[in-house]
Amino acid sequence: MATYPQNFRFGEFVGSLIWLIFWILIIVTLVGLPLLFIILFYVPLPPIGDEVLTPYLFLTMIVDPSRTIPIIEHLMTTDLFRVALFPGFTYAALIAAVTIFVERKFLAKMQLRIGPLYAGKIEGILQLVADGLKLISKEIIVPSGADKVLFWAAPIMFVSTAAAVVALIPVAPGWVVADIDVGLLAVFAILGFFPLIALLFSWASNSKYPFIGGMRALHQMIAFEIPFILSALSVVILSGTLNLTGIVDAQLQSYWFIFFVPISAFVFYISSLAELERIPFDLPEAESEIVAGWLTETSGMIYGLIQLGSYVKTYVLAALFVVLFLGGWAGPMVFPPEVHAPIIDISPIYDPVAANATLWFTLKTFGMILLMLLPRGISPRIRIDILLHTGWYKLIVLTFINMFIALALIYGGILGPGGLLVR
Amino acid sequence: MTSVEDKFEESKKLGLQIVKESEEDRLMTLSVGPQHPGSGHFRFTIKVDGDYIVYCDPDPGYVHRGEEKMCEYRNVIQNIPHLERPVIHDSSNITYSYSLAVEELVGIEVPRRGQFIRAIASELNRQVYTLYWLAIYGIFLGHSTMFMWPMGDRELFIDLLEALTGARVTHAYNIPGGVRNDMPDGFKDRCMRQVRYFEKRLKEYEDIFYNNPLFRQRTEGVAVLSKEDAIKLGVTGSVVRASGIPYDIRKAEPYDIYNEIDFKVQYMKTGDCFARSYVPFLDMKESCHIIEQLLDKMPQSGEVRAKLQPNPKGPPGEAYRRVESGRGALGYYIVSDGTPKPYRVKISVGSFRNMLALPYLLVGQKLADMPAVYWSLNYWPVEADR
Amino acid sequence: MADQVKKRFGESIKVVFIKPLRIKIQVDPKDTVEVATFLRDTMGFDHAESVAGTDYPKENQIEVIYHLGSYTREDLAAHVFSLTTRTNRDDAHLPTLINVYKSVEYHERETFEMLGVYFEGHPRNDRFLLPEDWADIPPLRKDFRIKGR
Repeated sequence: MATYPQNFRFGEFVGSLIWLIFWILIIVTLVGLPLLFIILFYVPLPPIGDEVLTPYLFLTMIVDPSRTIPIIEHLMTTDLFRVALFPGFTYAALIAAVTIFVERKFLAKMQLRIGPLYAGKIEGILQLVADGLKLISKEIIVPSGADKVLFWAAPIMFVSTAAAVVALIPVAPGWVVADIDVGLLAVFAILGFFPLIALLFSWASNSKYPFIGGMRALHQMIAFEIPFILSALSVVILSGTLNLTGIVDAQLQSYWFIFFVPISAFVFYISSLAELERIPFDLPEAESEIVAGWLTETSGMIYGLIQLGSYVKTYVLAALFVVLFLGGWAGPMVFPPEVHAPIIDISPIYDPVAANATLWFTLKTFGMILLMLLPRGISPRIRIDILLHTGWYKLIVLTFINMFIALALIYGGILGPGGLLVR
Repeated sequence: MTSVEDKFEESKKLGLQIVKESEEDRLMTLSVGPQHPGSGHFRFTIKVDGDYIVYCDPDPGYVHRGEEKMCEYRNVIQNIPHLERPVIHDSSNITYSYSLAVEELVGIEVPRRGQFIRAIASELNRQVYTLYWLAIYGIFLGHSTMFMWPMGDRELFIDLLEALTGARVTHAYNIPGGVRNDMPDGFKDRCMRQVRYFEKRLKEYEDIFYNNPLFRQRTEGVAVLSKEDAIKLGVTGSVVRASGIPYDIRKAEPYDIYNEIDFKVQYMKTGDCFARSYVPFLDMKESCHIIEQLLDKMPQSGEVRAKLQPNPKGPPGEAYRRVESGRGALGYYIVSDGTPKPYRVKISVGSFRNMLALPYLLVGQKLADMPAVYWSLNYWPVEADR
Repeated sequence: MADQVKKRFGESIKVVFIKPLRIKIQVDPKDTVEVATFLRDTMGFDHAESVAGTDYPKENQIEVIYHLGSYTREDLAAHVFSLTTRTNRDDAHLPTLINVYKSVEYHERETFEMLGVYFEGHPRNDRFLLPEDWADIPPLRKDFRIKGR
């Protein structure tokens, strides 16, 4: 901070305090109180235990922590909690943020350097906060002749589509935002929207390099959606249901599907790398050939939104891999059935099954994300014709092989209802 | 592949055709300009039909500073600092050639220890430049690890050069008559240790980069420069060695003490991008051997610089000497008219000669190959502009 | 080797000097293409390393020197043959050697813009290294003054 501090004057200090108090009073009386009365009048307050939760009850409960447990217990059953916090957006965004930081450190160690070091006291932990603040403070430059509506709308569509898929992923039994019977199909339907967004945004940028990048993004994503869906199809054959929770339940009853259909798991992994535009498949953003591909004209928060969406998509695809092939939340129970906390009795909100499921799911997802980050340090970028050749010819053939293996397992009576390996 | 002339005419016809009849708006003109992460400070305009490049026109001159003109205003010793600027990290080679030409004009004899130290500095600079080139080649293909590792190893060499000359880059070390100062104590052991460590690192480079199947897929068979075309286009350095012609000035016309050093000229016969990217790597390996031999055979003591008058001048005449630098044959043509300031200095740089291969090779390639082909020609834009 | 060239061309060329690895001959502008073709085909100098122009205002001439080297012949690997012509300074025209040696294309273009020597038959005699808005005399001429000195 290179500003000259002004001389301290007591009178001015008192004056500024009074000014502050004045403004607080104005806002509270003119805005806060009417808002409070509207809420109290129109919004139905939930009953906690056997009392209606009025603000006065809420304030008294806050003072005594042991009495906030019923509030938290009620909160966990609402939809808002599920959407915004736990299996929903906050969880995904936190994992995405940790992913970004871990990626930078992980890659740095592979490349014989250190990575972020200075932001934050411990090894650059606050680097993301610094980056976010920097991106917010930058000017968003819209190129002349660009389609303004699409230019502003496309990044928002990108993040919301990525977040929409988060809604379908089950983290623990019963903990999923949207439990649809055709969950897997819905996931692929929403994922199919991404090439359109890339193309719209590159077209709206009105510039040559984004145009080339958008075309490449379109070709790449569409080419790899088919092996993507086909490799998931083998899992559907083995488990007999499209519901994601049902797939995990089928794996809980027998063994993890990756042992039965490893080739499909491999193809799914490669296709998800292509969908995410990660190296070695990052042609749409190939830096040395087409500046930044379809992201060339993004600046400031638009770039931040797209990066956030991209990393949330990474979480989604890694979580999907875990759900389909690695058994979802299966794992040995490491939480005790009852927990005795010293002061507060948290038994109403303590659910060992859910906690155990979350732990194993997070660990497995994180391991899968690390596996997706790994090729960035190893491979160069692939060329578009090799990419399309691989996507359309080789991967589809491999998925068919595994589909036949899956069908053979079902009809041979090894898996499926009443099979040999079903516990 | 048709001959050079046919390819040129074909591509020029296509380019001119579209400029004249613009109703067929199929071609897209891209300016891979000075502000492009894929080109350095160099602009070339390409016309793209779908994914294939049909026309390429290099346009250097972004960093043109008039080196040759500036040489005529300074005497021969004062020319050294600004002559290094075209290639700042390979600076000992670009002044080596100049020093050789001036010594021939003026008639100076360089003492033996000075010759050895000059050769050591030249080889170290060749390693530094080739590592930088390799790093940028990695990042052009999207391989970020191959960008970081050579840059890290390069720092060790730059530290050595800093101990020897006093500056990290732009050393101003070679002067007509020898080198400026002697080696510090302990430099020999340090250099040997560093070279041995680096030879082990080169094996790792080979594993992660040259044996990487994706890299091989992208560069093998791409943009083949046949032997006849290479001779006709007059390319030099690693480009001509990758097309099957084992021409290295250190072997063909040995200067200083290179006739006492035993090394092999590395060359490959295929002439595609992979060969052009592998030959500098082999050169680096060979350079390690050369450094070890130089350090062993160096005389223990002696002068490193010949005594010169304050303004060295020689009889009127001219001289043309060449040196093998990281990019190819770097030749100096100096005309002197008896005054301390040279009358005309012409620098024939490898990059300028290799630039001719760029439009020839890029026509018909895919757009995605453009960085791979462009950088494999070992082109340093600042040097070509002088 | 100089004798071979002399035998072929007789008086139309002038040998300037013969050093251990360097030979320099001077020819008239109209004979350059012939001599260059002879050098390429019979004597084995297959590429031109550089093309330099030197301005001699005292004799009112510009000398253009082609350095020729050989990749194919082992015994000529160390030799550099210098082929020079001289032309009048005020009206500098020279025939181009681009049909003999492809590698001189960019070098001749640079000599054109730096010294003002027009090469007849060269496909592009225009600005190469200098900026687009160059409005002064060709820079390498001796009467060009660097601004600000």
